[in-house]
Amino acid sequence: MHSPVSDAHNYRANRTEKYLDHSLMPPCQAACPLHMDVRGYVDLVAQGKIMEALQSIRSGNPFPSICAYVCTHPCEDACRRCQVDKPVAIRALKRFAVEFGGDRMVQAEAETTQQEKVAIVGSGPAGMACAYYLRKLGYPATIFEAHSEMGGMLRVGIPQYRLPRQVLDTEVQRLTQMGVEIRLSTKVVSLDLLFDLGYKAIFITIGAHQSLRMGIEGEESPGVIDGATFLREVNLGLKPSLGERVAVVGGGNVAIDAARTAVRLGTKRVNILYRRGRAEMPADPEEVEQALGEGIEILFLVIPTRIKRGNGRLSVTCVRMELGAPDASSRRRPVPIKDSEFNEEFDTLITAIGQAPQTPGGFDVRMGKGSTIQVDPTTLTTNRVGVFAGGDAVTGPATVTEALAAGRLAASRIDDYLQHRYPVAGKAEREKLVGDLLPETIEMIRKISRLEPPILLPEARVKDFEPVELVYDWETATNEARRCLRCGMGAEILFQDKCATCLTCLKVCPYHVPCLDASGTIQIPAEQCQACGICVAECPAKVIVLRKPYDRRSINEELDHILKSAAESKSKPFIVGFCCQYGLFGIGTLANLWRGAKAGVWIVPVLCVAKVEAEQILRAFEMGAEGVFIAGCGEQCSREDTAFWVRQRVEKVRKVLAQVGFETERLQTFFPSTTNEDLAPELDKFAEQIGRLYLASAIMQEVKS
Amino acid sequence: MIVAEQKSLAEIRQMITPYQRVLILGCGTCMTVCNAGGEREVSFLHNALRLAESRSGNGIHTFSEYTVKRQCDYEFLDSLVDKIGDVDAILSLGCGIGVQAIAERLPDLPVLPGVNTSFMGMAEEWGVWDERCAACGDCILAETGGICPITRCTKGILNGPCAGTKNGKCEANKDMDCAWILIYKRLERLGQLDKMRRYYPLRNFRTIPRPRRVASKASIDVGEGNG
Repeated sequence: MHSPVSDAHNYRANRTEKYLDHSLMPPCQAACPLHMDVRGYVDLVAQGKIMEALQSIRSGNPFPSICAYVCTHPCEDACRRCQVDKPVAIRALKRFAVEFGGDRMVQAEAETTQQEKVAIVGSGPAGMACAYYLRKLGYPATIFEAHSEMGGMLRVGIPQYRLPRQVLDTEVQRLTQMGVEIRLSTKVVSLDLLFDLGYKAIFITIGAHQSLRMGIEGEESPGVIDGATFLREVNLGLKPSLGERVAVVGGGNVAIDAARTAVRLGTKRVNILYRRGRAEMPADPEEVEQALGEGIEILFLVIPTRIKRGNGRLSVTCVRMELGAPDASSRRRPVPIKDSEFNEEFDTLITAIGQAPQTPGGFDVRMGKGSTIQVDPTTLTTNRVGVFAGGDAVTGPATVTEALAAGRLAASRIDDYLQHRYPVAGKAEREKLVGDLLPETIEMIRKISRLEPPILLPEARVKDFEPVELVYDWETATNEARRCLRCGMGAEILFQDKCATCLTCLKVCPYHVPCLDASGTIQIPAEQCQACGICVAECPAKVIVLRKPYDRRSINEELDHILKSAAESKSKPFIVGFCCQYGLFGIGTLANLWRGAKAGVWIVPVLCVAKVEAEQILRAFEMGAEGVFIAGCGEQCSREDTAFWVRQRVEKVRKVLAQVGFETERLQTFFPSTTNEDLAPELDKFAEQIGRLYLASAIMQEVKS
Repeated sequence: MIVAEQKSLAEIRQMITPYQRVLILGCGTCMTVCNAGGEREVSFLHNALRLAESRSGNGIHTFSEYTVKRQCDYEFLDSLVDKIGDVDAILSLGCGIGVQAIAERLPDLPVLPGVNTSFMGMAEEWGVWDERCAACGDCILAETGGICPITRCTKGILNGPCAGTKNGKCEANKDMDCAWILIYKRLERLGQLDKMRRYYPLRNFRTIPRPRRVASKASIDVGEGNG
């Protein structure tokens, strides 16, 4: 090859290498306490690459199977598809990846490379995560747990219908496999003792198990129990007798858990008393919905003021409330309505109005607001040297994911401490994507309704503690994953100096994203781009790339690879097919069909056919393909105009084919119009036709010579 | 902007027949904008020529590609000098000006035009360009409401419309607007319909001299108190 070409290639290669993965951090990732690569694994699920998706999930989350069940998914609240229709069902997709990707089979291994022993007080999510990462870093770690079983709140707080115990047991077993020493039923009362035992650092993560008191008359009566204790007893195998009618006071997740547990224990009638309205309820709306479905009644704007016990029952005096001015939590403060008191009879009353940590005095650590342990937010250090703390014990009751993040941070901070390194504040890997979608962009985005995973019917689920939510099937999962807008990985102009400002991108964009700024420079706002890739393949100056350019690179690489393999296999004639890897095609049904049944059909997997450039089609022909086809999702594509642009390029290539004496039928497109349309017969026909054309041209050659 | 159309593959192959090693040279300005010779078209043509070579079975040509920012200035062509050592001819995808600039800058190397330079115009929509200016050297747009009858009227007449106008379209092409109806409507909007009543003397297209050069600088003699 001549120098100009290789020069241009090297230049481009160097520049591209340098700018590889220029993508912005999407809102889902920014919202996740663990900063999981949500966009990445959702995209892998959309392609049906479940194992890779699980691998991506595992690299950012020590216990994905737990999160797959109980995560409160702040990512979904941040998902920008909320602005279009409904957020991508990220947690359910994770559950799908975990179950279908074979998470149960994953073996965790760790080697001890360090001497310093670390003690972890508490075996909740923060403690487990800390132990996991400490083992990964090579430290010997010991978990001390006061209860008879591992898991902290995961075990004693969260009901089994939300987190099956086998899932938790698997993760605990994996920790044991990694060499974490576990001391059950061992309550730590003094940290000095742990230091005396030779531990060089201690991580306190004792959770927040102490229920707050309502402070009303009769709270001590028999028949009144606090939510945390109630759930703990049930979860550790006791079956408290609750009577016929139960009231739960509170509006958080614990209140809902307690109420639903009571239903499952056979209580006929369960009421939740909550002092605010439904909109103010801190519990997960999905859980509230499911609770209502199970026959639980919620009395809103009601608060108990007095409990009296008589005849083995509780007579509870309640007062109705109205909402006043917003308080510190920016929710409207409930104010009692005068003379609105009423009495209700219950057999049991469960209080679930909040929980706080209960730190043993022997720990000798400085306490802050709400009896939480005070720590430096960056280093997680307490006032005592070598003592770190995290999780609910520090933050007050929070989520599992936040606890996992605290555990992970603690492990790296303890590592810093033991290695005498200055702890550096975590730097964001990449810039965050900020800004909302514009109304005009939203208008152009295809609305695709959210696919919820199936859940058991209420009649079935109240009978026992089986998990309520089921897993997606393969097709639903891939289709749900395709709804992702791929925020922050859209197009950017890589060589602004080479841009001719021809406005092609502005004209071809289905979402009207590129715009001219006041200085006459074209801009592709990152927060609007949908990463469909049309402008990338159309730009006449070839200066636009996707911020995460892996799909473009891989088309060329895959094509080279396929052409080489095809040439080596010497099976003539061969056909090259550019096939979209999303959805239907990602599942592999069609791809398998072609690969298996039709010798000589070589598939180039692409992430949306809109990214296939005319040059790549020509190259396939040049390297000996007798036929080329492009198969996309057609009507099912989650992006706009993709088939139109493919057809434009196909026409352009067909003109060349005609001029060099190739039949234009050798290049075809296949776009199914409905989900069920089977492309296989059409493709068979195409392959036959190519075979005939090849035979005819071979005979002509013979005749000539 | 200058608009051109790529020559047919057959014509290009014909042209390059005598030359074994051909450099396909793109232009990063007008030819990029009109999709005739930017970096993408260069590599598309490169692929197409290679396909034709492999198809013909007895190909002797080898190709290379390169794109400069603009072919119509020597300074941009300087970067070519060290790229043409093993090249027998340059296939330029620049407009006619670019081809000539290369011929002047590289006197020993044959240069071939890969596009037909068509007109000066603008994009109507993606992939469609319309002629707007004939570079006639005698602009009358002030009189015609900013609409050029020379390029947009089939006959190029100065006192239209002619009798061939029908429903605002030209008799020669029913898809084409009658330029003089457009001019009338525009002048009406501007309140300048009196301009329609004026008679413009016939213009002798044959004798309009080509200006050959346009200078935007004033000719000031050196040394007359210029400091």
